[in-house]
Amino acid sequence: MGKRILEMNDLRVSFDTYAGEVQAVRGVSLYVEEGEVLAIVGESGCGKSVTAQTIMKLNPMPPARIVSGEITLDGHDIVKASDIEMRKLRGRKVSMIFQDPMTCLNPTKQVGKQIVEAIKLHQHLSPAEARKEAIKCLEQVNIPNPLERAKQYPHEYSGGMRQRAMIAMALSCDPLLLIADEPTTALDVTIQAQIMDLLKEIQGKLKNAIILITHDLGVVAGIADRVAVMYAGMIVETGTIHQIFYNNSHPYTKALMRSLPSADATKKDDLISIPGTPPDLLSPPVGCGFAARCKHCMQICKEEVPPEFELEKGHMAKCWLLHPDCPSAAERGDDNE
Amino acid sequence: MSDILIKTENLSKYFKVSGSRMLHAVENVSLEIRRGETLGLVGESGCGKSTLGRTMIGIYRPTKGKLIYEDKELDLSSKRNRFQFTKKAQIVFQDPYASLDPRMTVGSIIQEGMVIHGMYDPKKRKDRMEELLDIVGLNREHENRFPHEFSGGQRQRIGIARSLAIEPEFIVCDEPISALDVSIQAQIINLLHKLQEQMKLTYLFIAHDLNIVKYISDRIAVMYLGSVVELASSENLYKNTLHPYSKALLSAVPIPDPELEMKKHRQILTGDVPSPIHRPKGCAFSSRCPLACDICRREEPVLREVMPDHFVACHLVEKQ
Repeated sequence: MGKRILEMNDLRVSFDTYAGEVQAVRGVSLYVEEGEVLAIVGESGCGKSVTAQTIMKLNPMPPARIVSGEITLDGHDIVKASDIEMRKLRGRKVSMIFQDPMTCLNPTKQVGKQIVEAIKLHQHLSPAEARKEAIKCLEQVNIPNPLERAKQYPHEYSGGMRQRAMIAMALSCDPLLLIADEPTTALDVTIQAQIMDLLKEIQGKLKNAIILITHDLGVVAGIADRVAVMYAGMIVETGTIHQIFYNNSHPYTKALMRSLPSADATKKDDLISIPGTPPDLLSPPVGCGFAARCKHCMQICKEEVPPEFELEKGHMAKCWLLHPDCPSAAERGDDNE
Repeated sequence: MSDILIKTENLSKYFKVSGSRMLHAVENVSLEIRRGETLGLVGESGCGKSTLGRTMIGIYRPTKGKLIYEDKELDLSSKRNRFQFTKKAQIVFQDPYASLDPRMTVGSIIQEGMVIHGMYDPKKRKDRMEELLDIVGLNREHENRFPHEFSGGQRQRIGIARSLAIEPEFIVCDEPISALDVSIQAQIINLLHKLQEQMKLTYLFIAHDLNIVKYISDRIAVMYLGSVVELASSENLYKNTLHPYSKALLSAVPIPDPELEMKKHRQILTGDVPSPIHRPKGCAFSSRCPLACDICRREEPVLREVMPDHFVACHLVEKQ
């Protein structure tokens, strides 16, 4: 087992809005080890991006507020860190790439200069050295003609190239942890394949850890070591990629896997859909977040949040069905598993 | 009655960009859609798939070429003809947030088409509207609400109810699910499928999610830079992919299964799609094709039938 770079303990983040308190993250605990890829999957609004942004403290506070919980990044307490301390950590220890590369690059600045800016902030290099370093970064993400390209502006780049430039910038100071928030959602499949391959290649070379946030289970299958499935602000199941894909036990994970058309599905079989919609986090349900859509829902599911049950080493799920006292499927009258 | 509902013959649609330059959004497309089938249309963004769909229901007028509906050439130059054609062909848009008027109630959104086409009396229209709400899985009480009160999936249901209201034969589904979450996508796909069986609808299903397209379509057309490069039954397209672009596109789709994903041989395309303002000479794909040779850069390949019901536009694919 490698060293744990990031540990998050019972994190709760709320947003104070005019309509009331939106409890976006409701008790998330996770860890990331050196050199591994953790994927966080879930639907939009399940709190996966807020969780990731909180690691870098990027969500504006207020309206966001860390209600409780701890985040430790390489020995630094993130929750208590001041703005000045955070600035030193961002880029150096942890950096992030976003979904939409166009809105994250400064349109009025040459791409090379933007990377130089990040390098100079963290490393004491002369302008010429920083520039050399920036070009090396662009080369590393397979941008052709890095010398020329560094002088161009973001609008002269295509979508895939911009995402490459973002990755180059994020990796320029060799962070311990890279957070990729839906890095390929805005891209076409062929470009998505290029970017995912690049991430894999770089991860293999630099050995930094990655948190990959996505809703695409296909992307997860190709790169992740471990997976955390989020629903309604909580992690409902977490485990290695094999445990989650082949041996999952939470009804939401199961339903999610089945709602994808399998390779040999034909038009005659209906896709198995999850009825209903995710709960409103303005007034989150008292019990299990998934209870209203779950076909195995029992009385206790509506009343109490299920605790975490360990199925195997490293494989946890939050579901009352896993409780030792839970009646078996036949006793509950559940015929379709 | 012919088996073919709508057909395009050498259809092209250009848009004027700055100066006298033309953006060739759709270039020389000949397609047939059979009555009651779902034709999937896939391709990367900017390949002209939405433009083709919109041209086929008369939102855009073709620059060149013909549209043939039930064996008759469509003349959409007059407003009157276009109006009549909208009774037969409808569209479901990609973005359920932008395609519904925020100031109209759901009831009036669904009834609007019937009002415009003078269908039924007000009482019957209301009944029909309620029936449609049932069909698409919404509550009758939703009638007086406004679009902003609904979630994405529900809005897409409203959009579907609206397009069904005037009982069309042909519906263009322009990426109806790409703005929705995975668990909601399956709901909408099942709904579209059910409606097709009940009402004998014909779909042109535009999407970039190849897994979904394969699942819902009878036949699939792959587009690249404005042209159709391959057209085959969905089974054949996946089992016996012929065009190098289709191959690359299919191999780029991630499989939600870690073991298969690991074993898969992936063909990664280098570079980006060229601009449709400066289309490459010859085959549009020649600039990225791993197999491109001289003839590809010189001559544009035409879509030809290489196997029964399997069409491909590539110089290098032999007739089988």
